[in-house]
Amino acid sequence: MSSLFGTMSVALQSLLAQQGAMGVVANNIANANTPSYSREVPVLEESPPTLTGNSMVGTGVTLKSVESVRDNILNLRIQQETSQQSSLSSYVDSMNQVQALFNETQGTGLQTYLSNFFNSFQSLATNPTSSSLRQAAITAGQDLAGAFSQTSQNLATIQQGLDQSVVQTVQQINQLTAQVAGLNQQIQMVSNAGQNPGSLEDQRDQVLQNLSGMVDTAVIYADDGTVSVTTTTGTLLVAGNQSDALTTQLNSATGMHEVLAQGTDITSTIAGGGIQGLINARDDGITSAQSSLDNLAAGLISAVNQQQASGYDMTGSKGGDFFTPFAPSVPGSSAGAAATMTVTLTDPDQIAASSDGTQGDNGNAMAMADLQNEPIVCGQTAGSYYSNLVDQVGNNVSNATAEQEAVKLVLQQLSNQQSAVSGVSLDEEATNLVLYQRAYEAAARVISVVDELTGTTINMFTPS
Amino acid sequence: MGIRVNPDIYSFVLSGLQANTQREDQALQEIGSGQKLNFISDDPAATATLVNLRMEASSDTQYLQNISSLTGSLQVADSALSSVVEALTSAQSLGVEGANGTINAQNRQAIAQQVQGIQQQILGLANTSYNNQYLFSGTATTTKPYVADASAASGVTYKGNDNTNSVEISQGQAMPINLPGSQLFSNATTNVFQSLQDLYTALNNDGDIGGATTEVGNALNYMTTQRTFYGNSLSRLNNAQTFLNQEQLQLSKSESSALDVDMATAVTNLSQTVTTQQALLAAGGKISQLNLFSYLPSS
Repeated sequence: MSSLFGTMSVALQSLLAQQGAMGVVANNIANANTPSYSREVPVLEESPPTLTGNSMVGTGVTLKSVESVRDNILNLRIQQETSQQSSLSSYVDSMNQVQALFNETQGTGLQTYLSNFFNSFQSLATNPTSSSLRQAAITAGQDLAGAFSQTSQNLATIQQGLDQSVVQTVQQINQLTAQVAGLNQQIQMVSNAGQNPGSLEDQRDQVLQNLSGMVDTAVIYADDGTVSVTTTTGTLLVAGNQSDALTTQLNSATGMHEVLAQGTDITSTIAGGGIQGLINARDDGITSAQSSLDNLAAGLISAVNQQQASGYDMTGSKGGDFFTPFAPSVPGSSAGAAATMTVTLTDPDQIAASSDGTQGDNGNAMAMADLQNEPIVCGQTAGSYYSNLVDQVGNNVSNATAEQEAVKLVLQQLSNQQSAVSGVSLDEEATNLVLYQRAYEAAARVISVVDELTGTTINMFTPS
Repeated sequence: MGIRVNPDIYSFVLSGLQANTQREDQALQEIGSGQKLNFISDDPAATATLVNLRMEASSDTQYLQNISSLTGSLQVADSALSSVVEALTSAQSLGVEGANGTINAQNRQAIAQQVQGIQQQILGLANTSYNNQYLFSGTATTTKPYVADASAASGVTYKGNDNTNSVEISQGQAMPINLPGSQLFSNATTNVFQSLQDLYTALNNDGDIGGATTEVGNALNYMTTQRTFYGNSLSRLNNAQTFLNQEQLQLSKSESSALDVDMATAVTNLSQTVTTQQALLAAGGKISQLNLFSYLPSS
């Protein structure tokens, strides 16, 4: 049999435990709208019973711990999808700038310039000695060259901007991995002290979530409460309380920054996050648009100059170059042809409209105009090569956008699941609050009953 | 205990509203611009087609311009030749008149003077230019084709060449746009100037006037035949123009079907998004603002 005082002490413990539980409820309610907050539950435990006489008697309740309710597997899935989502969205944002340069749906692009150029020679064929038509052909050539070099420079500017963003993103990644390492350390200390690191874990979840938006991450939860973070291809980012900073280094050949981990170039192994989208747009989307543009420019320059050379100008001399000839830095490459495209002819009389040296002959002007239908760019006509370029740029954007939509739905689903596990329900908290309140009231009643009993016992011996 | 559900019901409303706003933006943009394609990525293949259609349309516009400037020069050439035919007809009549044995030598010489005048007139017509281009000097359009030359048997020398220029009047269809003087006026078998020179000489010297007149008659027939080239060319231009106008119409139809928005569809889409938005907002408003706390006694 337990003593009255023993009962009193059991009731007191209950008071304290219920009070603690109500504290947890209060904290949940307070954080009902806090982002990335995981609801907490009090873990109540029966105190170890004692042997009284021949029977075991319970000694009450203790608030053993407070635990955060979170699903780490779900969090990992969310991080993966966030990586995908961010990668696609930064790619789409970047390539949107590129497609604006070729926006033929609004009539802004190179088609008008190409048409005008060939048309100017069609026109010249009707009156090959007209100096105003000759001048018009030179002007059309200058406009065409100007449009090519402007577009090429705009592509280069966008590319430079993306390169800067890559460098900045690497810095942000380093800040976040340093934060994860710091939080790892604190969580370990708090756990070692036997306390609930829930709020620190919430913070770390938030940082990991942000990190997965920047770069693809693989997170491994260790038993000591810390996490280690690598990229999905195994580049170490955080181990315990240490973070490994990524660095960037300018590649002088491409003029772009590479991402290095411990001195190794990992640029091409990055498989997610905003930085991947930036790198894809920078090294793939823009590079391929730029090289198509260069091919087109190089094809035009060489075909037009070649046609000039096979005709005669107004003075009866063999035609000289129309466009400044393109001298490739690497044999066979057309890199830079668009950016440097200019018309070198200045005198309208220098246009070689004649095919035999007679001033009024229009044979070569016709041949020049007919280049429009000749396969002068990589086996295609200039027009169809250009329309393929437009198609390609458009597809880059539309495919990534479609994928982005799909990932967005998955992410919504996962966030919903996460909220179902970890979100605070006020109804639930209200129910728990009533539960703990009633238990508290009952425990208080026990104390007052024991008090009465004790009084009765004491009064038994009072001389009356 | 059942499966715990997401207590944040508003997140569904919010994501629904966001997705709907996106569709609304798209519909509004289509209606505002009148185009269903506003970025290449809206339909890359259709945009690529659009580029090809516009290149074709632009070429057609150029062909039409070519046709209108060629029409001018062909008409001028044709009317010059028509005058040549008229002049040769008069020369032929003069020859017939001169061959009549009843007229005296003085009258024959007067007729000879008239024939010489006709020769001068035809020389002027053979040197017709249009837009600073001589029409009958072959491709040497900056060179005056015929100059008077007393030392030549025909009284003129041809300075042009034997070539012709061609101009494209529709995709892949090039048309010769001139006949050189060496073919029209002074070829090896029929020489307009020679025939007139011969008639002039015969009249002056009372030679074979009848033979010379036949020669002029042959030149007249030849010129009449040659002139049909210009008539045919003009009708060819006319046909090409009709064809190009039709093709342009077709191209602009294709362009419009690739690019232009179907207003009925776009407006329906927009009103659908409006309905959806109203429904979502109404649903959001109906989500209970209450929770269990509202019902607990506040004592």
